[in-house]
This record gives sequence, C-alpha cells and structure tokens, in this order.
Amino acid sequence: MFTRREVGSLILGAGALSMVGSLPKANAADRPSLTIAVDNLWANMATINGISTTSRRIFPNFYDNLVDRDYIKDENGLIFAPKLATKWEQNGNVWKFTLREGVKFHDGTEMTAEDAVFTLSPERLWGAKPFEPRGKTFTAGFKRVEATGKYTFEIETDRPDPNIPSKLTGYIGFVVPKKYYMEVGVDAFGQKPIGTGPYKVTTFRSGEIMVLEAFDDYWDGPPPVKQISWKIVPEFAARMAGLVSKEFDFIVNIPTDQEAALEKYQGVTLKRVLADNYPALAFNTRPDPEDNPLVDPNLRYAMVQAIDMNAIVQALFNGTTEHPAVPFNFTEYGKFYDPKAPVKLPYDVAAAKALVAKTQYKGEKLLWHITRQYYPNYEAAAEIMVEQWREVGINVEAQILDNFELVYRRPYHLMNMSMSSDFIPGDPYQPLWLDWGPTASRSTATWKTWDPTPEYLAAGKKFDEAIEFEDRKKAYLELSDAWQKVTPGYYMWKSVYNCAHRAGIQFKFKPNGEMRIYGDYFKFV
Amino acid sequence: MTRFWVLKILRTVLTLWFVVTFAFVVLRTSGDPVVALVGADATPEEVEQFRQLWRLDDPLWVQYFRYVFQMATGQFGISYRDGREVLDIIVERVPWTLMLGLFSYIGAILIGVPAGIVAAIKRGSTFDNLIMATAVFGFALPNFFLGILMILLFSLSLQWLPSSGTGTVWHLIMPAITLATFTAGTLARFTRSAMLEVLDKLYIRAAAAKGVGYWKRIIFHALPNASIPLVTIIGLNLGELIGGAIVVETVFAWPGVGRLLVTAVSSRDLAVVQGLVLIMAVTMVLANLVVDLLYGLLDPRIRVQN
Repeated sequence: MFTRREVGSLILGAGALSMVGSLPKANAADRPSLTIAVDNLWANMATINGISTTSRRIFPNFYDNLVDRDYIKDENGLIFAPKLATKWEQNGNVWKFTLREGVKFHDGTEMTAEDAVFTLSPERLWGAKPFEPRGKTFTAGFKRVEATGKYTFEIETDRPDPNIPSKLTGYIGFVVPKKYYMEVGVDAFGQKPIGTGPYKVTTFRSGEIMVLEAFDDYWDGPPPVKQISWKIVPEFAARMAGLVSKEFDFIVNIPTDQEAALEKYQGVTLKRVLADNYPALAFNTRPDPEDNPLVDPNLRYAMVQAIDMNAIVQALFNGTTEHPAVPFNFTEYGKFYDPKAPVKLPYDVAAAKALVAKTQYKGEKLLWHITRQYYPNYEAAAEIMVEQWREVGINVEAQILDNFELVYRRPYHLMNMSMSSDFIPGDPYQPLWLDWGPTASRSTATWKTWDPTPEYLAAGKKFDEAIEFEDRKKAYLELSDAWQKVTPGYYMWKSVYNCAHRAGIQFKFKPNGEMRIYGDYFKFV
Repeated sequence: MTRFWVLKILRTVLTLWFVVTFAFVVLRTSGDPVVALVGADATPEEVEQFRQLWRLDDPLWVQYFRYVFQMATGQFGISYRDGREVLDIIVERVPWTLMLGLFSYIGAILIGVPAGIVAAIKRGSTFDNLIMATAVFGFALPNFFLGILMILLFSLSLQWLPSSGTGTVWHLIMPAITLATFTAGTLARFTRSAMLEVLDKLYIRAAAAKGVGYWKRIIFHALPNASIPLVTIIGLNLGELIGGAIVVETVFAWPGVGRLLVTAVSSRDLAVVQGLVLIMAVTMVLANLVVDLLYGLLDPRIRVQN
C-alpha cells in the first residue's frame, strides 16, 4: 500500500522520467521544479551588501559574472572562461573588456557597457560614500572605469594589476542593471534583485523563502528547471525527513555526525566539497590588556606546537577535510602550493613545554572569545585544544559568546575568525595580504589583534607589486615567513560544504559554495 | 467606574512605556547591530558608514527619545537587515502565527478542560491518575523534543505528514499538536484543581439535596464557579498567541512571528525587535483587560464591587 506522500512522489517521478536527459531547450511548462531546503537565507540579495555564504550559494542562478571560473575542466577552478565578458586584454595599467552582445536582464532590457561600468563604479563600490561600502575591499587600486563603446569598457588601476579578470570572478563581477538599480535604490534592489542569470527572482520573503523561475531569454538557452524554491528549514531533522520523504530535492548544511545516518537512506546522494575558506583563531599579540602574556611570540609558538590538529580534524570530520600544516600553503593555490614546504611549528609537546619555559608566563588565564555556532565543530575543537594547552601548562578559558560584537569586546587573548582564500583564484593575495595587511580590519579595527611588523609590510609591498609569477612567489614566501615569525593566528582546517540530493539528479558542488542549477553543474539523469 | 477605567488606562500606558524602555536598554547593551549587519570582516570605515546610515551614531538619549516618539506615533521604522517597513514585515507574519496559535489553542481547550473536569469528578481513580500523568507529561516535555520526535516518526519513518513549512492543512497538524500538548496539560491540571475546590462547596451539596441532576450540577453549578482561575490562565495564553511559539515555529519552519523574533534578535535588527516587543506587550495588556471584564461577567460580586 502506498502512503499519501508516496503517491505524490510517484506522480512527480513519472513527470521527471518523461524528461530524462538534457533539457536545455525544453519549454518552461515541461520542466520539473525543485525545492531546496536551506538552513538560512541572507536578508539582502544585493551583490555586495548581501555577501554571505548563504547568498553565494544562490547568486549565480540569477546573477552572471563578467568572468567565470571553470570547475569542470579544473577542480581548483583556475581556468577562466568567458561569461558576460567574452574578451579581455591588458595594456599597462588599463584592462579592456568586450561584453557579450544580446544579453538581457530579467526586466527585458539589454545589458550594455553602461551597466558593467556602473557595476564597478565609484558611486556603487569605491567612491567616498558608495551604495555598497564593502565594495572598497575588492576594488583596491581602481582609478577609472569607463565605457568605450556599447559593448566595451576599460578599468584603469593605479599600477599594472594582472589580477583584474580574477577579481571579476567574484562578487564584484556580478553585473547589475544601472537603470533599475538607480530607480529602486540599493535596499529595494537587495529585496528584488535583477541580473542576467538563468533564473529570475519572483518571490523573496526574507527569513522564509526565495523563489526563482526559469528565465527563458537567458543568453545561453533556457535553464533545465521551471522553478526553484529555496526554503528555510532551520531544523536539520526536518530537512533530513523532507529529503528522505521526497518533499525536498536538495538539502544543505548537514552536521558531520549526521552524514553517515543520512547516507544510509536509499536514493539520497551526499555531496561534500572542500571550501576555499579556513576557520582559524587570532592571537592577540598586542599589549591590550597591559599584562597580555601573548605579546611574547614564544608563548604563541608553544600554543601552536601543543595542538594535534590532525587528530582533532580526524575526530571531528572523519577525515573529510585537512589541516594546513603551513599557513597560506594551500592546495588551491596551484603553482604557489608546495607539498614539501617546511613546517616551522609542528605538533611537538616537548618543544611546546620548552617554549613555555622560556617565557614569563605563570599560568594566567587566557580568554578565548568564540562566536556561538558560527563555524561547524569550532566549539568542539576548542574544548580539545583547551585540554591540549593545559597539558603544556597553558591555561585557556573558551568563552562562547552570542555574537561578534561581544567577541570583539576586550579583554581577550584569542578570538575566533575565518578567512577565505578565493578572492584572486590561485593566488594567496587574500588571506596573506588583504586580510592581514595594513588596511585589514584585523590590523585597523578597535578590536585589532596585531600590528603588522615593518618586515611584514616591506615584504607585503613587494608581493603587492610583483607581477611575474617567479617574483610573486618569491615575495609570497618572504611575506609568509614574516607572518610566521609573528604567528598572529592559527589556521585550523579547510571548511567543508555539504549538501544532499534525491536520486535522478547529477550535480557538481563548487568549492565557493555556489549551487548552480544549470549548465554542466546540474542535470536530470 | 470612570476611576476604574482611568486607572486601567494609566497602568496600561505605564506598562507599555516600561516595556519599550526595557527593550531599548537591553538591545543596546547586548551587541552592536552594525557589526552583525556588515559582518566580521568589515573595516572600521565601513562600520562607521553603516552607523551613520542608520543614525546609530547619535547620542543614546537622542536615539531613545526618537524611538519613544516613533513608537507612540505608530512608526515602527525600517528593518536594518532588509530595508523594509517593520510593520509590513510583522503584518505578513501575524496571520500564520494566529492560524497556528488559534488551532492549537482551541484544540488545547477542547481537550484540556474536559480532561480536567473528568479527572476532578473521578478523583483518586485510575482514570484521574492516568489523565494527570498525561498532563504532567504534556507540559513537562520540551516543545523542541516533542517536535523533533514527531518529525522523525510521522515524516521520516511513516511519511504521513510533511516535515515542515506551510501550504496544506497537513502542514498544520504536527506544529499544532506540539504546541497544544503543553497548553492542554496545563489546562487539565488547573481545571482539576479549580473543580475540586468547588465540588466540596455547600451550594453543590444544597443543589444535590434539592434534587438537581448530577451533570446539571457539574455543568451549571460547579463549572461556572470554577471558571475564574481558568479564565485567567486562558486569557494569559491568549495574550501569548501573538508572540508565537518561538521553538515550534523554528522546528517546523513555520513562517510566523516567533521565528521572525528569533531571526531579528540574532541579527540585532533593533527596529524589528522593538516593533515586535511593543506589539506583544499591547496584545498581552489587552488580553488582561478582556480577562478583567470577563471576571465581572462571570462573577456578579466582582461586577457589583467595581
């Protein structure tokens, strides 16, 4: 006997069976719809004000980048492909881009260079009071953005910047329609965004649901799904039950300790991807509080050497991710990555004890501020680390706090953080310089945890200016050395994104967390 | 009578002022909304720009008086998170909360009150023990636990009911039962105690001596006299309806006011939290007022005294 739900599923299944195979040119009415249960949706879907893991997941379904990263041909996404821009070339400080012709926004207007220029303009991203102030972080060095024809535009920087196309693969590369954006304003745009992507936003109720519908005028042909509902289901048990009972086609954010249980259900496929992001901790290296024992680098070295992070990662993630033994030596950096890079501070309890003995530290309590449930397994790891530090005579108290504002309230000796590594694909610019450098919040905010040393700043300047790979790699190693000499932080593991989907779907999860429901990333089988 | 109403209104205004002030102070001391809005990596410059945008750079007393004035004139402001009118955001959630709340509330009354009456008239019997044990179980079991158990049983294993969300009447069943279980358990215990107190009164015996039938004595003589404490508890629950069921709405992804409150608090969306707190306070005050009026209707002595 069938349950009521099974009958519904059979009807849906029959519909899906009739559409086996590739569906790029199918009529809207014939295509199945998808429901994706997510843990959260960011309240604002503007390209920059809406930056978050939860919006990145959805963005490429309704926005298109100027330049794309091809994860099909290269698992690290280090091959660039044309998207809204079809050609780009550098001439000194100026990059010239040619746009794809005949691309339409969801309101039917044509995308032109005027829109691309507005997208990257000072009034929107990097001027005195831009509409989306966080854009400044991603547009350092921008001097001029100007249309040179209906489908061509230029970006001029204050010095030759080989990474402009790389930067346009990220958030700043999502093109928005100037006319609509200016008509409704940035806040309203974030509630009803318009892009050139394969789906258009038809419903967005912040905190509840986002519905996308196929945009059949998409420049690359109609997408394979009629409608996608991204529905917030905060409770994991409800997400899991919904997937197993075929209410949902996808679910995201599966707790590590629940993965095995979920995989046992028939017709459920679990997907994991190592993300371009690293949960970490920052040491407060400054004399604030005045008696901060962590101003002594030996104590920080000891704390790093006391942690058996490989064992922790194995225990908490069951071997599905890895600990980067050498900071910034990340596999996703292609030619920069060196599997034989020397580990300067390996796990070594005896060495850690010896280092503690060299300091004035007498067992004073060190406060570790941690944001509650912000990074998966962070609190669990912290509990183990506190015990490992205790073993070498270091007394740390992990304080779990409700939000970052409380985390930033002094006094503290350590605090949680995470850093992404993909702003310039295949290049360690973001974690090593953008996130620790002289303009980073970590060295400028009221809650800053370090002051970049002259050695670090000098190496950083060289790195920032280096264009040729050999020069850049040399400068990178020098900069990394200068950072490690201070050791103002500790990278714990590479984040893992996961999701699960029902049978009958072929899906490739991208390491930046994007869930593209089109192209080579998604197919009904 | 005029004095009674003037005092009531003054007390209401004072209560509401106290609530909005308390909300303002607590929200200002529990975290900076700008940091929650712009994210952990924002530079000080970006934080400052947002602070100016939302006028959070004004002195605290200026913010307070602006806030009290806005509340008093029904202007709830704009959400920091998504830039929409707070009132619009709240209004679109209220029907969902009322639907769930009323469904579970009526169910809880229909089950809890008769169960309490039966337990009282069968005092000391196995029936009484069974009802009371179930009632204790009902209000002792945490909502989130019961909710998850129901999802695992009825959605995951049996696949009879949808696991979460809205759309059909089937979606309402599990959250309503989860919510009603607690209220029904509470009502059953209150009804039993109130009925036991009344059943021993002389006028009940006098009614029996005059030959009034058993069920007539229970329904027309005992129950109205036992209803004062019941009205109090039912009235308080009615006031809580608009506040939604925070845990139940979260577990079942029900798009009501309770879930909105959780999201708004965690993201420090001050305007939304303040608006919700005021609306909840008003509802609670009005519910208490209705309870006061019902006292007079139910008990002529109170009416005469007033």
